[in-house]
Amino acid sequence: MTRDSEHRLPRRTPLTWVRSGGLSTLLFLLPLLFVFGAFSWYPIVRTVVMSVQHTNLVQPATWVGLKNFKAVVHDPLFPIAVKNTAYFAGLALLFGYPIPLIGAVLMSEVRKRRGIYSALAYLPVVIPPVVAVLLWKTFYDASSTGVFNTILGWVHISPQPWLQSQGTAMPSLVLESTWANAGGTVIIYLAALTSVNTELYEAAAVDGAGILRKIWHITLPQLRGVLLVTMILQIIGTAQVFLEPYLFTSGGPANSTLTVLLLIYNYAFGNSLGGDYGKATALSLMLAVFLALFSWIYLRATRSWSTE
Amino acid sequence: MKSTRRTTCVAVAVGCLLIACATAAGATASAKSVTISVASLIPGSSAAAVQQFNQQVAQFEKANPGINVQPVEYQWTAPTFAAKLAAGTLPTVFEVPFTDARTLGENGQLADITSYVKKLPYYSKYNPAVLAEGTTSKGKIVALPKGAYAQALHYNRKLFVQAGLNPNKPPSTWGQVITDAKIIAQKTGKAGYAEMGKSDNTAGWILTTVVYSLGGRMETGSGTSAKATLTNPLTVQALNMLKKMRWTDNSMGSNFDMGWSDINQQFAAGNIGMYISGSDVYTNLVQASNIDPSIYGLAPIPLSKNKNAGVLGGGTLAAVKPSANAAQKAAAVKWMDFFYEQPLVSKPQAVRNAQTLVANKQPVGVPALPIFNLKQYNLANTWIKPYINVPLGQMKPFTTGVFKQKLIPEPGSSTQSVYAALDPVVQAVLTDKNADVESLLEQANSVAQSAISSGA
Amino acid sequence: MSSVDESPARIISQAEWSKPSVRYGVRSLQLLLLFGLVVFGLGPILWLAKSAITPTNDTITHPVALFPHGFAWSNLHEAWSNVDVARYFWNTIYIAFGSWLTQLVVATTGGYVLSVLRPKYARFIKGLLLATLFVPAIVLLVPLYVEIVRLPIVHHSLINSYWAVWLPAGASAFNVILVTRFFDNLPREIFEAARVDGAGPFMLFWKIVLPMSKPILGVVSVFAVLASWKDFLWPLLVLANPNIQPLSVRLPSIQSQTELGVFLAAMFIACLVPIFGFLVFQRSFLRGPGLGGAVKG
Repeated sequence: MTRDSEHRLPRRTPLTWVRSGGLSTLLFLLPLLFVFGAFSWYPIVRTVVMSVQHTNLVQPATWVGLKNFKAVVHDPLFPIAVKNTAYFAGLALLFGYPIPLIGAVLMSEVRKRRGIYSALAYLPVVIPPVVAVLLWKTFYDASSTGVFNTILGWVHISPQPWLQSQGTAMPSLVLESTWANAGGTVIIYLAALTSVNTELYEAAAVDGAGILRKIWHITLPQLRGVLLVTMILQIIGTAQVFLEPYLFTSGGPANSTLTVLLLIYNYAFGNSLGGDYGKATALSLMLAVFLALFSWIYLRATRSWSTE
Repeated sequence: MKSTRRTTCVAVAVGCLLIACATAAGATASAKSVTISVASLIPGSSAAAVQQFNQQVAQFEKANPGINVQPVEYQWTAPTFAAKLAAGTLPTVFEVPFTDARTLGENGQLADITSYVKKLPYYSKYNPAVLAEGTTSKGKIVALPKGAYAQALHYNRKLFVQAGLNPNKPPSTWGQVITDAKIIAQKTGKAGYAEMGKSDNTAGWILTTVVYSLGGRMETGSGTSAKATLTNPLTVQALNMLKKMRWTDNSMGSNFDMGWSDINQQFAAGNIGMYISGSDVYTNLVQASNIDPSIYGLAPIPLSKNKNAGVLGGGTLAAVKPSANAAQKAAAVKWMDFFYEQPLVSKPQAVRNAQTLVANKQPVGVPALPIFNLKQYNLANTWIKPYINVPLGQMKPFTTGVFKQKLIPEPGSSTQSVYAALDPVVQAVLTDKNADVESLLEQANSVAQSAISSGA
Repeated sequence: MSSVDESPARIISQAEWSKPSVRYGVRSLQLLLLFGLVVFGLGPILWLAKSAITPTNDTITHPVALFPHGFAWSNLHEAWSNVDVARYFWNTIYIAFGSWLTQLVVATTGGYVLSVLRPKYARFIKGLLLATLFVPAIVLLVPLYVEIVRLPIVHHSLINSYWAVWLPAGASAFNVILVTRFFDNLPREIFEAARVDGAGPFMLFWKIVLPMSKPILGVVSVFAVLASWKDFLWPLLVLANPNIQPLSVRLPSIQSQTELGVFLAAMFIACLVPIFGFLVFQRSFLRGPGLGGAVKG
């Protein structure tokens, strides 16, 4: 804290506070305090409060204890949503995690015009997600004249149902999601790869290590931090997937693409007679607590790996 | 110190700014005129449709100089309505289906317009069953009928001809529907029969329609003590019919997630032979998809020989926001009178309305069901006869056949929730060859029952 | 990013590279990757561009063919005027601008306090910020919506106002922490020198700290604009009036009333600015995520 160049005993009066810059500090803090207070901290508190209330916004709220949580857990759609979300996150990790890494490793070794590679990889990321989803929805037309089915026809594969079958709907969503998001991961990996100390490679080369061994023993361990962080970020992100199920299938067919977020949305806004905000906030809270716990366990478990 | 003084000045300035912002949030009170916002057309309607609506607004404002009307795009769908209701972003005059109006009224979410409605000169001519849809149990009128419809079978005459079927003899039994669908699919490669399958309650709505036409019902009793009867054998029969068309005959095309607008769009594009929807969708086919009139055919839904078989009827009502003040309520009812009711009860207005629509190439004469008594209905139809520009001849099977059919109202309790419970059942049958119809219906029944019991 | 044989020896040393088997092997893998990127990364976008000017009928019956019956420039024209893509497009830009400004103001002023001014309660604020970092956005959805519908104290509704989108966008703890960290790394001597010269906190902020922060401001800006462009659910909920909706909200709601060719043309127009912006500002885009995400072990 800056102090005026005065040598009096520091008696804390409002005036000295103003003089020593307290007011200006507060003024600078005002935007943050206002925006966070009103639109972040207060709503978080309200979520907790609303989750133990019965609200319909018209009449005053009543306290119902844990009834909302019980209702959510007993909802037959709840286990379905949890399973589907885990399925989406798992598939997304399977496709969206190793592929960008392999791509980034290959790209980091490109000698000429690496820029084209990164630009192409990142291009799908800048397309507005709504456009990407609607575009892919056209691709996924299940008739034999749909775009993908036409292309499959060239290699004599029969038309696929894509979004029209419970087995293929979720993978179709993951495919589009990977397309739209993998580029960001590639760029992150690329940045980390190019910052690996080249002396390590030289030293390993001196020791006679081949390319693959260098990758396994130097590249991957050096990337450990980035890899771990991207994994947890990806899991947290995909656990909250909403856009794809909402726009592609509205949770169908037969709830096979119903995710937790979509269920929360349906609780709050799905019933044309008015939403159940208690259940919606209860489920939101459950998801948040789960993700927090998961992150904590993950960080503890990987701490031993990332520090060497 | 200099900076302290500057700091204080800035602080004062910021403070003033904050106060100014806080007080700037007031609504402007207008001196003499009342402003109301009204539901106009669905998003994406053609420019011509928008123009004719604006012309009607202009006519109204000319006749009512103290009222200022603002059109607002509007489409009722189950998922979006709730958000708008909660946020208070509905226009002053908005539309709700028969299924929801009464419950919304009971919950105080529609304004009480009883006193204004009773003053309308044609109040006694209302079809009591239709008016009851907008009246609460305590007798408060909370909505006025906009239109009533019966479910109907829409068919593509051009595809019928291509398939070698007679376009003037649409199927009159479900057996014929199934056969015709198969022939159309084989001869033209298009979907012979299509059904709504989206997760926005439309799948359940159409399934209920089919079940009604076989003689089944989804509920018995009324109110929160009603019993869900989704598992009745006629529902199973309806689903098995779908199964046959989908998997055995392969006559339903390849895409099964169509909602009300999507299926209209596909039909207008010539990709569907037959489908079920409200009898009044021709308007949307013209306004949104620019349909070629020569392909359109309208037939009544085939009914089985079961004595309970009937055609599902529904409708739309116009209601007023509960936050409207007295002046706005009066203005709102005047608008509802002018826009929704006058064309049916007043010859000059009917003629003027028809002329506006024709001038903007919008359909006049789409078959509707009476919301007033039958005499008034026939009379109104004669007024607009000279202006009819829809292929009424192609709709003859429906217009002659529907009045012989028993009209059945939609399930009374928690209607939308019942439909929502049926959505996944329809989707499962259409996407899974081995769908276990009975167990799916059991699950759907318990979901529907809990919704009914809790009044949701 | 591009280099011509300048890159230092990395995984593949110069010695290995001189071996033809390695060179051809790796090069062909890279070419395969390039091919994959072009087909899968660029392909869908090229298809969109092609279909935007193809008659609807052709797109439906022969989706992958190249202009079997000529062009349909009218699609673009109709998308621009009838579907009124221009309006939603400007709405999107306007919303992005406001969100960007709010985020910048909150992050820079907040970071300045936490890093430079450092009052006694800074640790407390930092703790609160970190806490929100772990709260997934979904938790805020319902109560934030309820709050926007009816603000506490003033009882005014922000529905249909752009502030309903701009203000919550500013509450990004990630931005504040990013900026705080950056400010932490600025040399303190410059601040001391300025203070000795008589600069007060405002001067210090405006004339010293901000000009030195261009890199981090660039990164925050890129994040902010991208996030605003991608935003869907929140604007869908709070911007009910179609006239003020951004493209992301408007496009899905008109899909079933719009002819396919015109709709695809509208989507293509929606892509033009982000693609163009990306090509021009490539460096900031591609550096940003790296900076934000790279965490060393």
